[in-house]
Amino acid sequence: MTAITKSKSNADVYQLRRRQETITALMVTSVAIIILLIYLMPMGYALVTSLKSKAQTSEVNAPILPSTPRQFEYDGETYDIMLVPQEDGTIAEWGLVQARRRGASDFIDPENPEAGIIQWEGNWRTLEKAWEPNVQWDNYPDAWNFIRFGRLLMNTLGYALVTMVGMVSASALTAYGFARFRFPGKNILFLMVLSTMILPPQVTDLPKYAFFVNVLDWGGTWWPLIVPAFFGHAYHVFLLRQFFLTIPREMEEAASIDGAGPMTTFIRVILPQAVPALTASALFHFFYAWNDYFGPLIYLAGNRDAQPISIGLAEFNGLYSSEPQLILAAAIITMILPLAIFFMAQRIFVQGIVITGVDK
Amino acid sequence: MDMVSAFSEVRKERFSWRNWSPARRREALWGLGFISPWLIGFLIFYLAPMIASLVFSTMNFELTKPDGATFIGLQNWQRLLNDDTMWLAMSVTFVFAIISLPIGMISAFLLAVLLNSANLMGRSLFRTLYYAPTMVPLIASTLIWAQVLNPSDGWINRFIEIFGFDVRGVDGLRWLNDPAHPNLVFIAYSFIGLWTIGNAMLINLSALQGVPSELYDAARVDGASWLNRLWSITIPMVSPVIFYNLVLSVIGLLQYFIVPWVLTGGSGDPEGRTMFYMIHFFKQGFIFNKLGYGATLAWLMFAVALVITVMLFGSARYWVHYAGDSRS
Amino acid sequence: MSKRYYTLFLAVVLMMLMSISTAAQERTTIRWFVGLGAGTDAPQIEAQEAIVEEFNNSQDEIELVLEIVDNDQAFGILSTQIAAGNAPDIVGPVGVRGRSNFPGVWLDLTELLESTNYDLTDFDPDLVEFYNIEGEGQIGLPFAIFPSFLMYNEELFDEAGIPYPPRNYGDPYVDWNGEEREWNMETLRELAMILTVDGEGTDATMDEFNPDEIVQFGYGTQYTDIRGRLTLFGAGSFADEDGNAQVPEHWQEGLDWYQKAMWEDWFYPNGVYGGADFMGGGNWFESGNMAMVTIHLWYLPCCTWGLEGVDYQLAPVPSYNGVTTAKMHGDTFSIMESTDHPVEAFEVLTYLLGEKANELATLYGGMPARLSLQPDYFDTIGQNDPLAGRDLNWDIVVAGMAYADNPSHEGPLPNLLEAEDVYNTWTGNLDNDPDFDLDAGIQELIDALQDVFDEAQ
Repeated sequence: MTAITKSKSNADVYQLRRRQETITALMVTSVAIIILLIYLMPMGYALVTSLKSKAQTSEVNAPILPSTPRQFEYDGETYDIMLVPQEDGTIAEWGLVQARRRGASDFIDPENPEAGIIQWEGNWRTLEKAWEPNVQWDNYPDAWNFIRFGRLLMNTLGYALVTMVGMVSASALTAYGFARFRFPGKNILFLMVLSTMILPPQVTDLPKYAFFVNVLDWGGTWWPLIVPAFFGHAYHVFLLRQFFLTIPREMEEAASIDGAGPMTTFIRVILPQAVPALTASALFHFFYAWNDYFGPLIYLAGNRDAQPISIGLAEFNGLYSSEPQLILAAAIITMILPLAIFFMAQRIFVQGIVITGVDK
Repeated sequence: MDMVSAFSEVRKERFSWRNWSPARRREALWGLGFISPWLIGFLIFYLAPMIASLVFSTMNFELTKPDGATFIGLQNWQRLLNDDTMWLAMSVTFVFAIISLPIGMISAFLLAVLLNSANLMGRSLFRTLYYAPTMVPLIASTLIWAQVLNPSDGWINRFIEIFGFDVRGVDGLRWLNDPAHPNLVFIAYSFIGLWTIGNAMLINLSALQGVPSELYDAARVDGASWLNRLWSITIPMVSPVIFYNLVLSVIGLLQYFIVPWVLTGGSGDPEGRTMFYMIHFFKQGFIFNKLGYGATLAWLMFAVALVITVMLFGSARYWVHYAGDSRS
Repeated sequence: MSKRYYTLFLAVVLMMLMSISTAAQERTTIRWFVGLGAGTDAPQIEAQEAIVEEFNNSQDEIELVLEIVDNDQAFGILSTQIAAGNAPDIVGPVGVRGRSNFPGVWLDLTELLESTNYDLTDFDPDLVEFYNIEGEGQIGLPFAIFPSFLMYNEELFDEAGIPYPPRNYGDPYVDWNGEEREWNMETLRELAMILTVDGEGTDATMDEFNPDEIVQFGYGTQYTDIRGRLTLFGAGSFADEDGNAQVPEHWQEGLDWYQKAMWEDWFYPNGVYGGADFMGGGNWFESGNMAMVTIHLWYLPCCTWGLEGVDYQLAPVPSYNGVTTAKMHGDTFSIMESTDHPVEAFEVLTYLLGEKANELATLYGGMPARLSLQPDYFDTIGQNDPLAGRDLNWDIVVAGMAYADNPSHEGPLPNLLEAEDVYNTWTGNLDNDPDFDLDAGIQELIDALQDVFDEAQ
């Protein structure tokens, strides 16, 4: 850099750098877009399908985007309009009254219905329908109302937020203990932390259920789902421990020379530096709780008013098992709030850069 | 600090407690105090269920007849040896893990680098969109993938067909269930797996944020290439979270369950390629109601995964760098 | 508010709370578990909640609590509850399959029926006997029945220019040449091939037919396993009288028919097509691209919403070798053996199966098992969406009861849960592998079933 400034004027360098930066930015961004399009293709499928009519979802040669065929009403019945090629090379738009595989199919000309049924010799399956874009926005309010979204939202949000606070605080304390202090049995205990993750959860679900329901009598309540969160979880303990270990010790040592106790150091020195990690941990738990299905299902079976959105969604899927457009609309609705929260939490990732002198 | 050498250290520490200085004892008490939330929770909510499930593995415990459970010693454990499906399931699980682990780890890292790039315009939006699939409940996203990968009218085959390949229908690319090309399913499952890398990507991203920019500036002055800087600065600096992602991915892949369960209902189609270990475990324990044998299978997998985890921790000292780990 | 008033207020509140809690304590809690069959869709949930509330208001001995679990998860949740010693008291509606998944957990009602002198004259005695399981006793009472029938899409027949299936059991099929044919599986096959079409409009009977681009299928036995599919060829079982594994002769012929239907004649959706969007993701008939299916009565109210504006009709199930078999589903409510309050649970059971029988049967889409309720049933169900305004051939449903399958396609097998897994996995190969060797496959199936059966001993 120093070599360049010597040979050229400052303005030239500035312009050159600007141009280079713009080109790099455009290239990087295009790469990101291309990968994103491929990566999100199934999401595109879900989004497009959620805006289709039921009929279009099972139509064989339907366009990719939400559309419905133009229709014409004749004699009290509605008929789809087809694009029918004529002998003179033009294309007529006729309503298909009766499709026939052999012999002529019956059509009606919407512009001249008085002429009655027109017989057209040809293979009707080769004709295209007169599709026109028609987005079924109604799928969304339908799904919203059905799931009792407004009512279940508070249950879900309350559960996710309360357990998020408990989960992150308990896990952060534990992780700090493992990251910074020497105490007897530390490594065995940390192995126990990991063990709770390594043992397939399904095998302990049953004894846990028996304990909560029979010993504590917590069946039909949120307690079995909320209380354990306040004791942390291996997933978060391990994650935060890894982050705490990357924080250099100098600042803690300085704080301790100033007479701060371990708790003060933890709150004043460590937590502020670990904001991105704490945010990540909080978000992970929030999203987990937001979609948690099996826990509420088993513990809240007899208490329908307390149930979260995930269960409303499952009920909905049961009823509309063959209406993919509504199911996908419902699934997308439940994603909106977490996505918005994620988008806003971006700030914290951007600002929370740890600036420290690292000597290793 | 790693697990293997840690064990000898533990023994040393236990005997030296009495000789510890007051400061050292105070440190130990603070440490135990800090981990007490988890420790209490573990004693209340985990320990007893874990012991109970270990006890189940010595019993002939039929799920719907809890009163009829009887103690049968090690019979369930002996049965493991003759369980052909168990061996198949173990090998399928490892094969898929070996294929899928690098794909997931590398994509999660490279995506994070891309999303961290100062050259990327609209970073917040991209981050949100790349994370979005992780927010779809796994059951729902698996069902979406099933439709997208459908051999007759799924979007993937329709997309490939645009380039002139005839891949639809009976002779086409049957991603999820082709008895003639059963290994295709591993590729399809790896695609689906890419939709769950959001958390790993985000963890990488927040670690990348923590890499001080001075380090890069210094390297630039030295004329290091982008790849060079990635290899000698970025990766060592974020190695603690790469390690975390590695451990979590390995455990996750050994417990791989929901995707194959939703797609096959546990049939193992095609040709047993999706008979993952947890599918076998779940069927034995909760479909056939043989909870005793199911618990045995779970504990076997626990042992295998624990050994691998300890080995990973043992390897960590060679490649994981903790900036704050100067003391232990 | 002065302090005295405040104390008084507190005391009143406390007394009210205490009176509520003591009142609640006097009542016996009976838990009703819904999820193994119908009853988990939101409108049904609300109707069931209303019934529970009505029951709780009608007396002060029993507090009925409803527990509803989505069908996909219900089996797992119920077994977890049982294993944890926290089982519900009443389970229902539950079909044969749901019950067989939990052998030995149901209460034998015989004593309660005798001690309460319960009136069984309103039921068909055979149907009552249907719930008397060897070794388990009378584990339920008849509640709703779901006969099966053939459903066909009239518009697809019109497009092909061929006449509709017959209207009554015993009637022949009059074909496009005016010739009469027996309404059997062979006739069904021929019709179905004509009704199977590729993107060019070529049908499966023609040489130039392209099986890679099928857009419309002729026939499917929808929403059932291989036992249900094979029952069209006659009732049967994978276990012979001595409990040994077998595939009966007529079922072997049936397997051959299905294999050809999927991989030679192409009129039956194989694994490649079965889950496609244009086949309704598995709800074949509702997609509008399936000409004929055999299905049960519960299908009409639950799964035909997408057929608005499409004309369809009900027809007899075709025969095989001169024998007609229309498989049957029956639902009941059962009491769990582990209940602490059998008498109270039985009181709830009789309420649901008596006073509320008609309401619940209509809700679940079944035909009431009570003979006195049957005549009015089809009027009621035909008035509700999605069936309103249709003139369906209900006689076929009633007539189908005479051809019910015995033994049932959902009947017991030794080690049922694992046997089911064996034959389902095997069916997956049949449905997905174009080169499946059927003769060798049948022998493998018998061997695999035998292994599983032997484990039961």
